[in-house]
Amino acid sequence: MTLDPVEYAIISQSLIAAAREMGVKLIRSAYSNILREARDGSAALLDAKGNTVAQAELIPMQLGSIGRIFAACTAVYPPETLQPDDVFFINDPYSGGQHLQDVFIFHPIFADGSVVGFAASVAHHLDMGGGNPGLNPTASDVYSEGLIIPPTKINVKRDWHGGGFQRLLKANVRVPAQTMGDFDAQMAANAVGVLRVNELATRYGTDKVIATMAALQDYSETRMRAAIREVPDGVYAGEDMVDDDGITEDPLPVRVTVTVSGDSMTADFTGTAPQVMRNLNAPFASTISASVSVIKAALTSPDIPFNDGAMRPITVTAPKGTLLNPNHPAPVRARMEACSRAWNAIMKALSKAVPDKVIACGFDTTSVCCLSKLRDNGWSVYLEVFGGGWGASSTRDGCDAVDSPLSNCSNTPAEALDQDFPFFRLTEYALVPDSCGRGRQRGGIGFVRRYEVLEDGVKLAIYADRFVQKPAGLLGGTPGSTGSCVVRRNGQDIVLKSKQQVDLLKGDTVIYTLGGGGGYGDPGERDAQAISQDLEDGVISQGFAAAWARG
Amino acid sequence: MRVGIEVGGTFTDLVTFDGAKGTVAKVPSTPKSPDIGAFNALEAGGIPPAQVTDLVHGSTIATNAILERRGAKVAFVTTRGFRDILFLQRHDRRSIYDLRYAKPAPPVRRRDTYEVTERIDARGDVVLPLDITEVKRDLLPALAAGGYEAVALCLLSSYVSPKHEAELAALITASLPNIRVAASHVIAPEFREFERASTTLLSAYVQPVIDSYLDRFESRLKGGGFAGHFSVMQSNGGRLPAIAMRRNAISALFSGPAAGLVGAIRQAGCSGRGDLITFDMGGTSTDVSLVRGGEPALTPETEVDGLPIRTPVLDIVSVGAGGGSLVWIDDGGMLRVGPRSAGADPGPACYGRGGTAPTITDAHVVRGTIRPESFLGGSMKLDAEAARRSFQEIAKRLGTDVNGAAVAAIRLGVANIVRAIQIVSTERGRDPRDYALLPFGGAGPLLAAEIADELGIREILVPPNPGVISAQGLLAADYVKVYGVTRRLQFDAAAPEALREEHAHFRAIAEKEFRELGLAGPLEFQLEVDMRFVGQAFEIPVTIADRDLPTLTSEALHHAFVEAHRRVYLHGGEPGRRAEIVSLRLLVRSRLDTLPNLGERMVDLERPKQAPVNISGTETQSAAIVNAAHLTEGRTVSGPTLIEGYSSTVWLPETWTATRDAAGNLHVRKDAA
Repeated sequence: MTLDPVEYAIISQSLIAAAREMGVKLIRSAYSNILREARDGSAALLDAKGNTVAQAELIPMQLGSIGRIFAACTAVYPPETLQPDDVFFINDPYSGGQHLQDVFIFHPIFADGSVVGFAASVAHHLDMGGGNPGLNPTASDVYSEGLIIPPTKINVKRDWHGGGFQRLLKANVRVPAQTMGDFDAQMAANAVGVLRVNELATRYGTDKVIATMAALQDYSETRMRAAIREVPDGVYAGEDMVDDDGITEDPLPVRVTVTVSGDSMTADFTGTAPQVMRNLNAPFASTISASVSVIKAALTSPDIPFNDGAMRPITVTAPKGTLLNPNHPAPVRARMEACSRAWNAIMKALSKAVPDKVIACGFDTTSVCCLSKLRDNGWSVYLEVFGGGWGASSTRDGCDAVDSPLSNCSNTPAEALDQDFPFFRLTEYALVPDSCGRGRQRGGIGFVRRYEVLEDGVKLAIYADRFVQKPAGLLGGTPGSTGSCVVRRNGQDIVLKSKQQVDLLKGDTVIYTLGGGGGYGDPGERDAQAISQDLEDGVISQGFAAAWARG
Repeated sequence: MRVGIEVGGTFTDLVTFDGAKGTVAKVPSTPKSPDIGAFNALEAGGIPPAQVTDLVHGSTIATNAILERRGAKVAFVTTRGFRDILFLQRHDRRSIYDLRYAKPAPPVRRRDTYEVTERIDARGDVVLPLDITEVKRDLLPALAAGGYEAVALCLLSSYVSPKHEAELAALITASLPNIRVAASHVIAPEFREFERASTTLLSAYVQPVIDSYLDRFESRLKGGGFAGHFSVMQSNGGRLPAIAMRRNAISALFSGPAAGLVGAIRQAGCSGRGDLITFDMGGTSTDVSLVRGGEPALTPETEVDGLPIRTPVLDIVSVGAGGGSLVWIDDGGMLRVGPRSAGADPGPACYGRGGTAPTITDAHVVRGTIRPESFLGGSMKLDAEAARRSFQEIAKRLGTDVNGAAVAAIRLGVANIVRAIQIVSTERGRDPRDYALLPFGGAGPLLAAEIADELGIREILVPPNPGVISAQGLLAADYVKVYGVTRRLQFDAAAPEALREEHAHFRAIAEKEFRELGLAGPLEFQLEVDMRFVGQAFEIPVTIADRDLPTLTSEALHHAFVEAHRRVYLHGGEPGRRAEIVSLRLLVRSRLDTLPNLGERMVDLERPKQAPVNISGTETQSAAIVNAAHLTEGRTVSGPTLIEGYSSTVWLPETWTATRDAAGNLHVRKDAA
């Protein structure tokens, strides 16, 4: 059918608004601090084939590959067999998922008696079982990382709120009140999406809504292709490193070859390190998500709706058995580190083609801090995700102290921590002077979080990266700084590795430092006033400023 | 004589009542010193200050001081370890694929942030006493040397125990009496330190600006012999004596849209309508709100320039869709309207001031719903040819003609406002068809019927002089103050009694404060309780009427909360899940005398009986032209008709009928199908 341009514009904007509303309701009705404060969740509307049409812009990593995990569900349960009240549940990294903590729920949307699309939500759940609360750094396979939900169809009326499936989940997680509440928040978000699409179908007609879903993807594809066409044809290589595999000290290279040809491009990760024994492997869906996210961010204006259409011009490949496409059942909990390096590697490759569009490497690391304690009334789990300073661009300093590009988690207020967790206290949250890379534009500043442990029996589990490898500067800019995690006990510093867990004692202090981003361009070209302002503000020291002036 | 003066971006509006006789005037605003425009308006109305008994003022001075960074030099003081909280913010990005993202910049430099050694925990217990020696040794000399006009204090947990913050405020005031102190436990006593710090900082930043502005204003009034009440509009929809505003300025932000909403509610109330969806469409944006039972809803938070402000404000959603919104085609070929606007300069193409890009106003001119001869009562002639020319390029790209393109633009403009209305209605579980639509602002009544059609709304109420409703709203506003506190209460049988105690506590404070401000009238109270399921972070407000409070049970309160949750999230939580009370607010109101009605201002202008309009984009039809001031009580007209007034035009399509009611409102109804 042909779409009237005005109705197309109205319906497409309404679909985008509906996805945004789903995201708001997901966060606002959630229970765990990882979802309600950190906002580690996403929502989207899909067409009947499972292609993303519109998304709530929350977490790029979760959004880029919803279609792949959805396909695993419909391979088992074809859409035409679905009944109202049927819902898909899945978290399996080897069926197109991310890590087990990211659980996806899909609600079919019925109009005129058939399925016209799906409302999808994903949330990072605080604890999905497995060998350790929240995070199991020593897991040697995906089984020890938590409960695996393969493609599963449930009937909400029969299987939820007291039904068998919910009771199974509830029995296998350590903080069931929060986790079940967060699942309810996902269901609420999806219900809103279903309702809004139904309203549109009633108002404008089902066929027009279906046609708009297709046209909106074509629209994003058109704009993405136009953006790729502006990049000179060629083959561009890029590389970055993950610090280590959590066991040895050896860096793990992530290598990419980007080929731009007309209005399409490929990213091939041949040459990347083989898969590792610990949780740093990234399921292939994560690799795809990371790749399309960086290409969209670098090449297109932020207002292009991100959907399956935007992904069509991009092909991503990674050899099986590597860090970015591991074989089942390799553990994947910390997939973000390798994915962030894939993001950096593509950015570096693109810097050779379109230096004005890219940014230098930022700290660009997902640093997880998980403090937990078994109390009389069950487990209490605190988990937070930190970013750092961003890389600078041709026109701007990198953003200070913000979450990494593939993530977008908020912090949890110190006052919320005080209310919820009596076994520790946040005593410092501050910018770290001199942590940025120098350049014509400086990198973003990193930050530090300091925790005082108030009780015995507290466990700390972390994963992080760039404790060893600094984020590179670009076009003459100097690198940003590394991060670290230190436990101070009786005046002695215990320096942790970037993937580690330890038992803490009352009186310990945990000092978690997140690095700054790389600079862009010749430091000697920096505006003197910008340097003196930073100096007055104490984000750089006298010595650091002097080195800058020397170029 | 009662006078309302509302300063807007382009015009300063004046509404006066001398007994029952009302007048209206509009003069150009003077953005650099808004008070000049305000006094110009008084002069234009021929009003000597000595005759004014009640003067209410609304301005954007607080908001503009932040947007233009023209506030005071401010220092920020917090708990040791947290001086960077205003820069760290919430660690997230508003635009997730933007590589050049920058956070909203607070109006303070890092070098002007300070720390004190102290800590209080979430129960209010002192973990680390305030180090007074250190304060005297380090902080006070630094504040003295810094040349600060104001200091914002936000210590961790001060929302639960103000002990240290109050001690610190007293130390600063005693030693540095010329520095104003804004303490977070006074300004915004709610948890989440960044939001509370931001609110306190912005309050400290604008307070000296407002204080000196109001001081200047009052002196000039007194110089003219003024001896009446001088009060100022707040963002919560109430007014406050100017003297009180000078002490705590945070509620002055965004008072403009609030005045309009209050005026609209008052006007609808005269026609016996309390369930309303209002939309105020101006040149660059449209403000939308939903009103139930004649009471506007409050929302606990807003932001200015990306910085959060925790203070109760009228729940108004603003979208970048106004008469001046640009119509364009993006590089993916999609037709778009707004959010960029042609502004006042150059303005729409039809203004003939050099603008060539098409706007919604131009689209109205093309389709005939704005007649170039009668714009602003005929005082401003529009260039119809320029409007048509501006649409040629878009028409070509859409494969249609100029009429078709203009009609498409209007439909999209309508859709933008419809979405904003859906945010305040359907997204919050309210069916827009249960409400009357109330348009105002210069551009609102032109689109009201088309918006109503999209939403299935069958009743529209158009107030007289829709373009000066805000100034009228100033006079309609009651004295209002909101008292609030974060107090987590477990939800048990004792909860209602605890609420009654809080109510009595705040009531006593309010009665004393209102008395001290010379407001002797009876006070009304409304208790709002923010509730959530235990473990959630965002609350849903539950309003408890005064008459229900004495007999309130915990079951009734729980039921009210679950129903509110169900309305918003489409489910009422897992059975057996416990709820809790997180914060409560007491809204205290001192009602004023009712306002007389303001008739439609007469415009003498030669008008044809009929004019051509093209609503479908293909066929021209003939619409009747009616002077709004001639449409007196009891008279009815049917569409297609343009009802032209001094400040606005109502477009009445076919199948719609308008009748002037006894209150002076136009009652617009969809004919039964």
